[in-house]
Amino acid sequence: MSGPLLSVQDLRVTFAPGAPGQPPARAVDGVSFALAAGGSLAIVGETGSGKTTLARALLGLHPAGSVSGSVQLGGQELVELDEGRWRPLRWKRIALAVQNAGTAFDPVYRMGEQIVEPLREHLGLSSAEAAARAAALVAQVGLAERHLRAYPHQLSGGEKQRLMLAMALSCEPEILIVDEPTSGQDMLARAQVIALLRHIRAQRGTALLLISHDLAAVAQLAEQVAVLYAGKLAEVGAARDVLSAPRHPYTWGLLNAYPNMSTARDLSGIRGQMPDPAHPPTGCRFHPRCTQAVDKCRRVEPPLQAHGGRLLACHLGGLQALLRADGLRKTFTTNGHLGPAQNIEAVRDVSLEVYEGEVVGLVGETGSGKSTLGRLLVGLLSPEAGSIAFEGNPLALNNSSASKRLRRRIQLIPQDPFDSVSPYLSVGQIVREPLDVQGTDTPVKRAEQVQDALAAVGLPTLDAFLARHPHELSGGQLQRVVIARALVLEPKLIVADEPVSMLDASEQAKLITLLKAIQNERGIGLLLISHDLALVRKVADRILVMRDGQIIEGGPSSRVIAQPQHDYTRALLRAAPSFDWYSASSNGDRP
Amino acid sequence: MKRRALGFLVSLWAVLTLNFLLPRLLPGDPLAALLDPNSSAYVFNSTTRASLAAYYGLDRPLAQQYADYLAGALQGDLGQSIRLNQPVGELLRAHLPWTLLLTLTALGAASLLGVLGGAEAAWRRGSAADKALVAASVIASNAPVVFTGMILLIVFGAKLDWLPLAGGRTAFARYDTPWDAARDYAAHLVLPAATLTLALVGSKFLLVRNSMIGVLGEDYMLVARAKGLSTGRLKRHHALRNAIVPFVHHLAAHAGFALTGALFIETLFNYPGMGRLVFESVVARDYPLIQGVFVVVSVLVLSANLLADWLSYRLDPRLREAP
Repeated sequence: MSGPLLSVQDLRVTFAPGAPGQPPARAVDGVSFALAAGGSLAIVGETGSGKTTLARALLGLHPAGSVSGSVQLGGQELVELDEGRWRPLRWKRIALAVQNAGTAFDPVYRMGEQIVEPLREHLGLSSAEAAARAAALVAQVGLAERHLRAYPHQLSGGEKQRLMLAMALSCEPEILIVDEPTSGQDMLARAQVIALLRHIRAQRGTALLLISHDLAAVAQLAEQVAVLYAGKLAEVGAARDVLSAPRHPYTWGLLNAYPNMSTARDLSGIRGQMPDPAHPPTGCRFHPRCTQAVDKCRRVEPPLQAHGGRLLACHLGGLQALLRADGLRKTFTTNGHLGPAQNIEAVRDVSLEVYEGEVVGLVGETGSGKSTLGRLLVGLLSPEAGSIAFEGNPLALNNSSASKRLRRRIQLIPQDPFDSVSPYLSVGQIVREPLDVQGTDTPVKRAEQVQDALAAVGLPTLDAFLARHPHELSGGQLQRVVIARALVLEPKLIVADEPVSMLDASEQAKLITLLKAIQNERGIGLLLISHDLALVRKVADRILVMRDGQIIEGGPSSRVIAQPQHDYTRALLRAAPSFDWYSASSNGDRP
Repeated sequence: MKRRALGFLVSLWAVLTLNFLLPRLLPGDPLAALLDPNSSAYVFNSTTRASLAAYYGLDRPLAQQYADYLAGALQGDLGQSIRLNQPVGELLRAHLPWTLLLTLTALGAASLLGVLGGAEAAWRRGSAADKALVAASVIASNAPVVFTGMILLIVFGAKLDWLPLAGGRTAFARYDTPWDAARDYAAHLVLPAATLTLALVGSKFLLVRNSMIGVLGEDYMLVARAKGLSTGRLKRHHALRNAIVPFVHHLAAHAGFALTGALFIETLFNYPGMGRLVFESVVARDYPLIQGVFVVVSVLVLSANLLADWLSYRLDPRLREAP
């Protein structure tokens, strides 16, 4: 067949307002995609993004007049078909396995009767033929004939899910739409459904349109992925590319919120809420929740454009590299009092990137050059070679106002809080100092900012506390003060150099959780420098391993932890604290 | 279902017991009137009084009286009407069939109209026809039966003279064929039954419409549509089939209301059912007869509920496994 089997162009589904005078709800708002015969496409997005509405539109299940645009099935236009013309298409050519299989069956009829219904309706089978076909179908989904004799309430959710699939497959449709086949199921049932769908596709060549927020299922079932947000497509591309290297900030957020076994990182939801479809925000619909939104995002709606082998709807071309360092080099020379002067290459030809909203862990043993690299990045040291760009602008180590403005957006949290604050200043003064130095706002405004920053790190904002001096605080409190000092300038990037190494385990856990929460809420990029791999892997999206001034390995946390490429990384992993005495007692080595 | 049947028997026993106890709980005893010097039935001779009490069995222990009463009631002996001096059971046997004929005809007609109309209105929810039907059913179910009955009488009985004004059959008529008999009975039935149907149809229509609207929003209806089934199959096989389940229970609960409505209508149309009997016995404080009617109506309502339970048990497989 020439052209795709299913071609959707500028599909819109608009629901009449709940009350007169209200604007209509635009549940699906200009979606285009194509599905080849035998192909597979997953539509992913949060609850309320319009996935299910889209699926139902493809079967003409919405009230007449609510759907516009074009849906073509093998060249035949489906939008605006009347009910009588839709009927022969439904289930025979496009079948839908709905989301809630638990309520998808008529409670007063046996399962068999319900599965047989479309067979008799569309294929005109006799009741004996239809019954034989139904028996074959249930066998295919791994159930027995007794399930056909059962009423819906007598079966478990997993069984109903399979029977739903059996029913959807009954007329051998060209396109099978499966809406959330795995939601609400235990892991084993889920794995069985995925295996079943793969088997069906392999056997029959049915084109699959998968609607899901289960990204792991998507990865296993779909070749293509379309990310739907508030009724619009945000990113479309090959599943492997999109899920392993998301470009749209929303896709990135979805992946961060998704629990899986290949990362040990804690989950973080996407900040904010899905917009009300009756009152979508202007410009890019994701901008209120996007951490990198610029003015244009608020005003102009981004078109879905080809971008590096995929389609992307983002003015900024997707996630921004917040910080880009190229070929950095730093050499220290010993003063020669204790012997001949020596050159120590602390940082050798290091290049790295930190993306918007990303946590990058930089690990390595003491003396590997981590802290030097951190100081280069925030501009406390200047490199001998190489360049640093922040949000695309070169970062020069001078006192020009442009450079100052950039610099205030990168903040350092140093290793030892007692070392980094003046013992003569009060808490209030410590936190306000950066504001005073930058000299931007009125004193009243600055006091407010100080209060906000202290509140953000969970410290009291009382005057009595503001008047305290460092020696009156605990280590954990002082480190929070230092974090507040970093936050007060509202940075886009924080370089945290062993921010919790001086603290006990409980205080470490609290602070690292706090840092992660602040990072997620404000969309700050975080470069976390630490020797503690066990800690880093709890928060980092990517891990870079540094040794002797060079980055020897880098990649997604999951990969670095599970399949370290470098012997040094393996050594670090072995040395990381672990309570794993089972494997330790057997061979003394971790797998 | 066994539990339901057992519940029916327990309720029946409770009704009969209540019927036995109520007059005995009233101040005085059933012979109180005989002791009241102001009563016309005053009997000053204590020997006569004692023999009367013995005649009615009132001198025996309460338990003995209760056992005799139950045994009598179960054999259809509900005592003697004071006013008519006839056995209550006989009176009921003469009048009850008329009332049942009227009530069941009206219930049947109202159910048919309510179910078909309700299903269609729900299917076309929001249309002009739907709105008109909802308004009409609200008015019909709230109008007093006496009022609607009068109007029907005046229009079809008096003005148009299509139908007989009163009675259950033409007096002194002799029928040549059963067909003639049926025609005569039916002609007398039309107006009272229509009046009662109008009183009953509104709530049935609204109930079916509402439960049908609920069913139409269910996921399984969406799936049924997605399966490409015909409109008729969607409407009847899936939607109405589910919407009918609550209706069955409503019908049973409504049986008592229908019966009392029938009693009013019977007096209006001078229909030979229990209506006249009840009103006259209330006026004359004919307690045995009133109690007899009470028992019969209770048994009818209980039976209707048992029937509804059995029907919904047949209709909804989910109930079959409920404890």
